[in-house]
Amino acid sequence: MMIKYIFYFLAFVSVFSALMVVVSKNPVHCVLYLIMCFFSIAGHYVLLNAQFLAAVHVIVYAGAIMVLFLFVIMLLNLNTQSEPHKSTWLKFAAAITSGLLLVILVGTLKGSETMVMPVGNPNAGLIKNLGNTLFKDFLLPFEVSSILFLVAMVGAVMLGKKEIK
Amino acid sequence: MQSNLYDYLPILLMFIVAGGFVGGTMFVTHKLGPQIKSKIKLDTFECGIESQGNARIPFSIKYFLVAILFVLFDVEVIFMYPWAVNFKELGLFGFIEMLTFMGFLLLGFFYILKKGALKWE
Amino acid sequence: MSTIQAIPLNWYILLSAVLFVIGVLGVLYRRNAIIIFMSVELMLNAVNLLLTAFSSYRGDSAGQVFVFFIMAVAAAEVAVGLAILIVIYRNTNSTDINFLNKLKW
Repeated sequence: MMIKYIFYFLAFVSVFSALMVVVSKNPVHCVLYLIMCFFSIAGHYVLLNAQFLAAVHVIVYAGAIMVLFLFVIMLLNLNTQSEPHKSTWLKFAAAITSGLLLVILVGTLKGSETMVMPVGNPNAGLIKNLGNTLFKDFLLPFEVSSILFLVAMVGAVMLGKKEIK
Repeated sequence: MQSNLYDYLPILLMFIVAGGFVGGTMFVTHKLGPQIKSKIKLDTFECGIESQGNARIPFSIKYFLVAILFVLFDVEVIFMYPWAVNFKELGLFGFIEMLTFMGFLLLGFFYILKKGALKWE
Repeated sequence: MSTIQAIPLNWYILLSAVLFVIGVLGVLYRRNAIIIFMSVELMLNAVNLLLTAFSSYRGDSAGQVFVFFIMAVAAAEVAVGLAILIVIYRNTNSTDINFLNKLKW
């Protein structure tokens, strides 16, 4: 019973803070709500018995969000409180579109049959099993991801670096 | 061996102590210290000289490249934890796998150094 | 009693669907490029949560390995995207996406 209430709480926090990211006017508040949302998702991972993933999630997104926060401080003029907003018509259209998407997703979920999952290894989230899967079954994607990192590094340097004459 | 929710009690305790310390100190310092508010005391202080403007100006974006590259190297490290735990089991093959992975990243790192992206302009 | 017995899988699917839709709403609703980035991160995280839920309920590590790869892709996306954002900022002095209408017919 305890787990149910923890799930309700975490789900409420994550949905609420995600909504606040979208609607709050001050960009600094957006970043802070995003941090709250990511921590609640890490809580979900712990609940799902994926401890290593929870730790990695906190490590990675603490870094990534720190960088986003830096960009907010560096690029935005925080003196003017409100950013220029889209016209009401466009906002209305955005709300309708995403509402329809939600209806479609929930409808698909309702229409599908409840499947019976074969019960596998309950320790799937432990770091040892993850490593075994990653370095044996997913060898090629792992190596390809290093090339992705290389490309991203080159791209970021090419775009961001001013050439010194 | 499903891990029990009670196993997380020490972690929860740690969070409570950490949060409680922050909250407690803030509360206590506000209550204990003498509170004298005057216009001069609450004025912004800038090393003895008159303060100019306010603190919320957009500032230099010179080191954004360092920040961006930090994200990439940060994510790269997450692949190394599972490797380190399974190091003995994977043996030489796993070592070569990781060497290839790190080789590509090192290539990128040399590119960054050669381009002088980390230099202060 | 573990999470898998206590909570039906459908609840996690529903939660991730809601988070994903909020991310879509953020992309369509806001004009600030940095906040659009945050919404994209939100969508990626909704997918991550779904993959982890499936992986845990099925007892298969593969789903959680996918999450690693999604994190790697997200990091690469953020790196290149923010670099593009900086270039835009240098040219227009703002992060408002409405200035990017040069390709409009």
